[in-house]
Amino acid sequence: MNEKQFEELWVKAEAGSHAERLAAEYPAWRQKTRRTLSMAAGVALVLAVATPIALSPSQAGKYNKVYCNRAGIQDQQWVSLADELLMEG
Amino acid sequence: MLLLMLAVGCRHRTEAPAEGSLYGRYASLPETSVAQVSGFQLCDTVSVDVVLLQADSDEAWQRMKDMFAIVDSTGVTSWLADTEEPATRVKWEGQPLLRVIASHDKQAIGLYRLDSEEQYDALVDYQLNRMTNDK
Repeated sequence: MNEKQFEELWVKAEAGSHAERLAAEYPAWRQKTRRTLSMAAGVALVLAVATPIALSPSQAGKYNKVYCNRAGIQDQQWVSLADELLMEG
Repeated sequence: MLLLMLAVGCRHRTEAPAEGSLYGRYASLPETSVAQVSGFQLCDTVSVDVVLLQADSDEAWQRMKDMFAIVDSTGVTSWLADTEEPATRVKWEGQPLLRVIASHDKQAIGLYRLDSEEQYDALVDYQLNRMTNDK
């Protein structure tokens, strides 16, 4: 065997060892990738559910109806008074 | 169309709560503006009915103070009251009652009807949250 043939065999041997290493590590890599993708999907799902809830306006301070014995007083004035008295009390 | 809308609106405003209700009891007081706010939301799931009285004159305010046995002349006075006798101070024991808040500055009194412990807790939380958010 001459030097060139030896070098060719050496390259093949190195490539072969890389291939073996890749084959051995592939299952673990695949499992890790799947786990990462599952976590990302889970986070996206949680955000999709939580974001509308977090951004929805609070109902506090709203009301159904106002009855009044006087004309000319806006409903919102009474609602504000109800709120302000709670703040003071 | 406009007349119809006005008619509906007026009917809405003059359609009063039932006679004998807390609102009905005070609606005829002289020189006093009285309103009932139905379904005042304390939070997303809890609401209360509130009757509000506001004096239109100093004399009317003095009459309100006498009616509710308020002796303080400044600041805010508040108490838990019997639903039938709002001037009667009571303790919370799980029964329906009124949370009464009287403001001398505003010459106004609010009567918040609390029928359940849930409403009672929600009212306290409302006050705490508003105070915290306003800092």
